[in-house]
Amino acid sequence: MPYTAEISRANPSCFLFLIDQSGSMADPFGAGESSRRKADGVADAINRLLQNLVIKCAKEEGIRDYYHVGVIGYGAHVGPAFGGSLAGRELVPISEIGNMPARIEERIKKVDDGAGGLVDQPVRFPIWFDPVASGGTPMCQALGVAHHILQSWLSQHPACFPPIVINITDGEATDGDPSGPADAIRRLSSNDGEVLLFNVHLSSQRAVPIEFPDTAVGLPDQFAQLLFRMSSLLPAYMRSIAQQEGYRVSEATRGFVFNADIVAVIRFLDIGTRPSDLR
Amino acid sequence: MHVFAQPFWAPRGGNVDSEYEDAVWPESAVEGQATSFRFAVADGATEASYSGIWAKELVHYFCHDSSDAPFEGGGFRRLQERWSEKVSRRPSPWYAEEKIRLGAFAAILGLTLYEGVGQNGGNWKAVAIGDSCLVQVRGEEVLARFPLADSAAFSNRPHLLSSNPAHNSHIVAHLRTIDGTWQPGDAFYLMTDALASWFMRELEEGQTPWRILRDFDTQDEVKPFREWVESLRAQRAIRNDDVTLLRVDITYRAYTAGLQRSYPESEARLPRPGVTGRPT
Repeated sequence: MPYTAEISRANPSCFLFLIDQSGSMADPFGAGESSRRKADGVADAINRLLQNLVIKCAKEEGIRDYYHVGVIGYGAHVGPAFGGSLAGRELVPISEIGNMPARIEERIKKVDDGAGGLVDQPVRFPIWFDPVASGGTPMCQALGVAHHILQSWLSQHPACFPPIVINITDGEATDGDPSGPADAIRRLSSNDGEVLLFNVHLSSQRAVPIEFPDTAVGLPDQFAQLLFRMSSLLPAYMRSIAQQEGYRVSEATRGFVFNADIVAVIRFLDIGTRPSDLR
Repeated sequence: MHVFAQPFWAPRGGNVDSEYEDAVWPESAVEGQATSFRFAVADGATEASYSGIWAKELVHYFCHDSSDAPFEGGGFRRLQERWSEKVSRRPSPWYAEEKIRLGAFAAILGLTLYEGVGQNGGNWKAVAIGDSCLVQVRGEEVLARFPLADSAAFSNRPHLLSSNPAHNSHIVAHLRTIDGTWQPGDAFYLMTDALASWFMRELEEGQTPWRILRDFDTQDEVKPFREWVESLRAQRAIRNDDVTLLRVDITYRAYTAGLQRSYPESEARLPRPGVTGRPT
């Protein structure tokens, strides 16, 4: 059965994030009703994805290398987007990512006090990426780079849980139709199943956020529809977790969100017992 | 009432012993006589940090508490505070701090045996949160399965008991209790989820899994526990997880001379198989 390989330090899996850093990302998010730019949304999404992935793999003795992670930026340039001491590296063990954020900010978080109230608690918030917006949107080229990296990973880890690629973009590729390169990525596989490609569409359109739809009908524009079609179907095990997490899913549900949070995907990953009371 | 209890455990394949996050009380084999006994197994959640410490605290607390509602009230609150103090002693990196803030989680199953009047047995009670299970066997018959009774009921997302009070607000709805009666000669098997799920599946297939469990560390043992677990993993007959079994035999009489001290003070380790017989 596919998507049942155990993710362990001896048999790690791989995460690849593709982040749109094109000039159009400087446009406002959600029809200009907020002062936030799409580039801010991308930086926020990737920082929170990495943060959640690190936390998922952290144990008392440190971070267990269940995943190797790469971040490919595409805009004026296409290539590895880590800064600082991780600069230039394609895939990095998650422990190194957790221990080497660009900086750590202090933020205030409202947390449940266990007695029905909320209290402000300072929390440390790691930052790996700052917003970038320049150049075109060479998404096809970025998908090609991802394909190359994954091919090499899969040849070295043929029995791994299939890699997951998350592409965060405003959807408007400037170097052709990304459908072909996306298909090629989804056709890559380990012994345990095909690579999963998920897309996050951050749009300037005023439209209701959409999470994990099972149809393109009702998606607000052709870019959203294209990204929906480029996205993998959620495998059965993810559908089952998504359902337990309260999402309405069907066999046609795809790993796609529109102007919404993709961090839930990290909760869909299975590295062992996860308390259902931990949200 | 005379009881012989023996724990068996193995860490998840690929992990070392120090990474084992289940817990069991008693931690080593004991034989003793008393009017009541408490036993427990717990299973710390992989995704949380310091779950092993939490699981250990829970089984120790349950077995040294006498209340009917051990997971509520001041005693339990102090246990949560103790966990928090223990794990917050040193400055931590950002991710460890976040894990401590989230808290640890564990499934727990606790069994209490009460002596009845006369020689004919007594009552038992069990409490569970999560998917660690108990099975009561009399002769060649399974009398009770608790809190889960079939292999399809196990998932990777159980409701668990947290060291963080904020996550326990709905725990009462997930707390299960059961009671029953025991007779001399009965055996109770307390198991964390991977083993319990295997046990239920074997039962569903018409097998007699208790025969394997009752023979560990006796003259009839076919394979030592850890070797047996490894072979099940190799056949993919059991999920790769920490595995814990506590076997509790209620015996007619002491069968090891000189070990009739009362439990839990008795920390006596029993001799290896071949020296210790089992009640017949």
